[in-house]
Amino acid sequence: MSRPAPSPIFTLRGAGAPLNTLHFSCHGGDTPLLFSGSGKGAIHMWNLNTRRAETVAEGHSGNSVVWVNTLQGTDTLISQGRDMRVCLWDLSEGRRAVLDSLWTGSVGFCQCSLLEMSTGTHLLAFAGQQTEEIKIVELPSKTPVCTLVPDAKLGMIMCIKLWQPDSGPGPLLLAGYEDGSLLLWDVTQRAQLSQTKAHPEPVMCLTFDPQCLRGVSGSSEKDLCSWRLDGQNNLQLQDSVTLVNPGVSQLCVRGDGKLLASAGWDHRVRIFGWKKLRPLAVLQYHTDLVLSVAFSDHQDPRQRLLAAGSKDQRISLWSIFNEGADTG
Amino acid sequence: MDSLAPHTEVRVAVAQCFRTLSTSTEPEDIISSLQTLHSFLDEGPESRSTPDQRAEFSRAHFTRTLQFLLSNIQADWLLGLSAAQRTDLWDGLFLRGPPEQALLVLMEGISELKASTSLDLLISITERFLLSGRLAALLWSSCLQTAPSDSPQLRETLLARIVALPDLTANRLHLKNKPCFCPQQYFTLLASEMLTALERTCQALKDGTDCSLIFVAQTLGKVCVQGHSGPVFAVMAPQLSVCTRSDMVWQRVCWKLLQNVPQRWMESVLTGLVQAVRGPEAFGRIIGNLVLTNKKAQYVVTHKLLLLQYKYETQVLRTVLGYLAADRERRPLLLQVLRALSQAWANPSAVKHTPLEQQLYVSKALLLSVNLLRDAELQELRSELLQCMLGGMQSHLDSSVVRIRHMGMVVGECLSARMDLNNTKLKFEYDQDEETLELLSLMTPISGEEPEEEPENGVTSPQETSEKTPSTQNASSQNKSKSDPGSDLDSDDEFSPYDMSADQEMTKESPRYLRDCLETLISSEDSVRVELSLRVAEGLVRKNVFAAREISVQLTKVLLHTEDKYSIRGFLSLRQTTMVALTVTDCIPVTQYLTTEFYSMNYGLRQRLDILEVLALAAQELSKPISEERSPSVGVSSCTDLTPYPGDNPVHWRQVVERRIQSKTKRLTKGATQPPAKATPNRYAPVAGHFFFPLLSNYDKPQVTFDLLGGDHLVLGRLIHTLGLFMHLAVNAPVAAQMGRALLDFVWAVRYHVDQMVRRGVLFAVCSVFLSMPSQNLLVDLNEQLFETRTWLADVAEGDPDEDCRNLAIQSLVMLDKSLKKQLQDQQALGMET
Repeated sequence: MSRPAPSPIFTLRGAGAPLNTLHFSCHGGDTPLLFSGSGKGAIHMWNLNTRRAETVAEGHSGNSVVWVNTLQGTDTLISQGRDMRVCLWDLSEGRRAVLDSLWTGSVGFCQCSLLEMSTGTHLLAFAGQQTEEIKIVELPSKTPVCTLVPDAKLGMIMCIKLWQPDSGPGPLLLAGYEDGSLLLWDVTQRAQLSQTKAHPEPVMCLTFDPQCLRGVSGSSEKDLCSWRLDGQNNLQLQDSVTLVNPGVSQLCVRGDGKLLASAGWDHRVRIFGWKKLRPLAVLQYHTDLVLSVAFSDHQDPRQRLLAAGSKDQRISLWSIFNEGADTG
Repeated sequence: MDSLAPHTEVRVAVAQCFRTLSTSTEPEDIISSLQTLHSFLDEGPESRSTPDQRAEFSRAHFTRTLQFLLSNIQADWLLGLSAAQRTDLWDGLFLRGPPEQALLVLMEGISELKASTSLDLLISITERFLLSGRLAALLWSSCLQTAPSDSPQLRETLLARIVALPDLTANRLHLKNKPCFCPQQYFTLLASEMLTALERTCQALKDGTDCSLIFVAQTLGKVCVQGHSGPVFAVMAPQLSVCTRSDMVWQRVCWKLLQNVPQRWMESVLTGLVQAVRGPEAFGRIIGNLVLTNKKAQYVVTHKLLLLQYKYETQVLRTVLGYLAADRERRPLLLQVLRALSQAWANPSAVKHTPLEQQLYVSKALLLSVNLLRDAELQELRSELLQCMLGGMQSHLDSSVVRIRHMGMVVGECLSARMDLNNTKLKFEYDQDEETLELLSLMTPISGEEPEEEPENGVTSPQETSEKTPSTQNASSQNKSKSDPGSDLDSDDEFSPYDMSADQEMTKESPRYLRDCLETLISSEDSVRVELSLRVAEGLVRKNVFAAREISVQLTKVLLHTEDKYSIRGFLSLRQTTMVALTVTDCIPVTQYLTTEFYSMNYGLRQRLDILEVLALAAQELSKPISEERSPSVGVSSCTDLTPYPGDNPVHWRQVVERRIQSKTKRLTKGATQPPAKATPNRYAPVAGHFFFPLLSNYDKPQVTFDLLGGDHLVLGRLIHTLGLFMHLAVNAPVAAQMGRALLDFVWAVRYHVDQMVRRGVLFAVCSVFLSMPSQNLLVDLNEQLFETRTWLADVAEGDPDEDCRNLAIQSLVMLDKSLKKQLQDQQALGMET
């Protein structure tokens, strides 16, 4: 028969607030790190070897941190808070100082999206002051690139994903809106390429795999909806998976494109095979909504971890499907 | 005169030898006279004696000679002989003459001699006698005497000696007994010697000589009746089964052998044979149509093996019934047996009063025989079978024992399926356990009838299977490869899923106040809210004792009347644990309420049983030592997960009783070394009376819906058991003596109840009285009742059809005696001190 349901390999406690976002940084440096953003404005840097919080950074004056990320190649941390600011942190040589900050004007929960253009320059997409507005700036110069506003009334912008196609000239942006629509934007043309209605309810989260041009989005109801881009950059809905309980906070595809993890409002993390969305595991540990989920970027695939942050103020870490492909 | 001449000649020669042996000291003389004696035994052309002389010597002088040798066993000349000479001349006489005489003399000698070298000598001769096949010679010689020449007494003695040889040697030699005299080896040897004799008989019959098997048959009978049929048939049955397969003479010999077994030994021979033989065909070949010619055999096979004895394996039933079905002439017997079986199965009195194992045995026999019927015969018996099925099922389903009910269901299903009642079949719901599966399996006939070692078939069958298996494998692998191309690298199959059964829907917010639960349970129609209320109720009761006390009776009332309208998972256990929690929290009012309701109108049996269970569990919880703190969460999980709702599973109830008895037995056996369980304060002792006495008050007032002493055995049994449990838990409580007295009075009226569940309950209650009542009270308060109780217990221990009842009665007797003995000793000690 099937194996018994797995347990977390360890958990991180002490954040003292709901954990809205998680980000691994394990591929370089000596110590693998996990960044977490809490509901009380603290950014924890967890050392995964000692399993303790190495540093706690407070930069959003007590407002909830909704998103953290690191700029590739530099020791720069970027965080987004509900104080309508995006902060850039210098982490080099043990410093924990805010380098720069950016006013977004967004009161929503939409997490930013970061794309590395060339060494040193990044594009950052974030929700703007208007409810439907997406702004894109270049970092670190903070030069505005464009502002994208849909023609039709689609409600508040809920989630965005910026990516660079292999074939096309400029980056594309996927956005989910409050009425359940998904839009594909061409950033350089500032044009809307494709639109589809994926959910009857607001799109809560989406993730996209540029390798196979497939993505999946979650909403506040039970269905996970998967879709793909055809050659003409048209969004085409594919099959959907029905969950046991409604509500998904976040979706994440593992780096090797084999697994999809969903953070559920029903306190559970679900694992699917990414190709066919076959349910593979249900991770039960948390006692409140799971808000975020992330796969680590370890270079050795066997060390890969899955982290889940929950409203119950804990982070659980799981080692799952890390064996070689032959043993399953 | 001519006929006299050899007689006198031999007599003179033998007398001459004897004289020489007793007087002479010359070794040559002694050797020559021994050789003379030998010459009368020598056969063949170079023999010095004539056949007449030899016959005369064997008839009249051989025994005498051997006896003479034995009486001179200490003589000097014997010691003077060399070992080789002694073995050849002295021992040889025993081994070469007529074996029956030699055996008799040897046995006589062994039983007379005390331990000495002479005895050792005799033992070694006897050993060689056995090992050199003299027993076969003995049996064979008896076969040749078509008319018995010797007296019946002599034959009887010889028979007794042959069969009792292991006993005689063991009595004489004690621990120094030889292995070949041990029953296991000896009777195996005897069996193969009998086979040798039978084989020679077959050979002789083919050559046209008449033989008599009477003595062999008698030997077989006597061996079996003395209980050695196991080793004997372990050797004989396979051999006979193989020999009779092809050889008609062997079959005739076997039939004759069994016909010649005396009536009084027939039963043990047949039962031994039927257990050792494999399959009905072999049995039929060996005994032939014995059941038709021999009344005794018929009685044993058709009646005793099927209806009276029930210790045999199912294989025996298969053999017997298959044997009856195999032959046209025997088939009427099968029908007769089937009628008898169906009557026995359907008999309501048998269902009540015979042991369960016997009922199972009869059920198996019934199913097997029905399965053997042909369709025409089935039509003939149809109405009778239908009658039996309907009546029998009713009485089985009425029983309070689960196994009996299951038996009724399975047999009913099988019978109805076999009878093909207008294409309708009975179908019951029951748990598939080992027993029901076995019964069901009896309906599928075993295809390879005889699992015997058949050389021809044995070779072919493995080939067939080995041919088959690869072909199926090929097919499956081909199928696989066909389906393979569809699934390319895109599949997620490289990961095997984990168990996701725990992925259930989330429930809504659960109530946080007990009063909310109460309101929901009373008025809500929302299944989710009802479920949530039920789930949290126990925790809330335990968490907030004061709130719980305010509404304890009300909530108990509501819970008692709540039905599982929404089929909530674990409904029964949730309801039960909550009621237990309420009873524990607010003991006196709730018990008062529950015990009153137990006897009031308009409750179902289920509810009354629930009341008893709740009270019992609450009493158990209260009786735990106070110091041991019990966290509510642990209680919840253990109650819901570990113990399945006891009412659903009546076996549980019995197991609990047994476990308790077990624990008590231990305490008793170690009683001397272990001090009695330490008395610790608990919450139960002060309130034990509230649990106990109200339940005793109204039992004999039947109501329209509830008649405890009438039809509602089940509740009565549970009630008594629960009372027994209250008694048991009240050990060391001040009120225990009163409770014990009242309980003994109460159970006295129902001690011979028809239902074994009630009887078990009664015995359990009695056990717990003896266990919990202080021994001085036992003697003083129950003075006049004890004697009667003892007699009753002894009666039950001996004669009750139910095994549990007998065991419980024995337990109680032991406990009673121990505590009385202890009490009397204490009193004596006191008396001596004063």
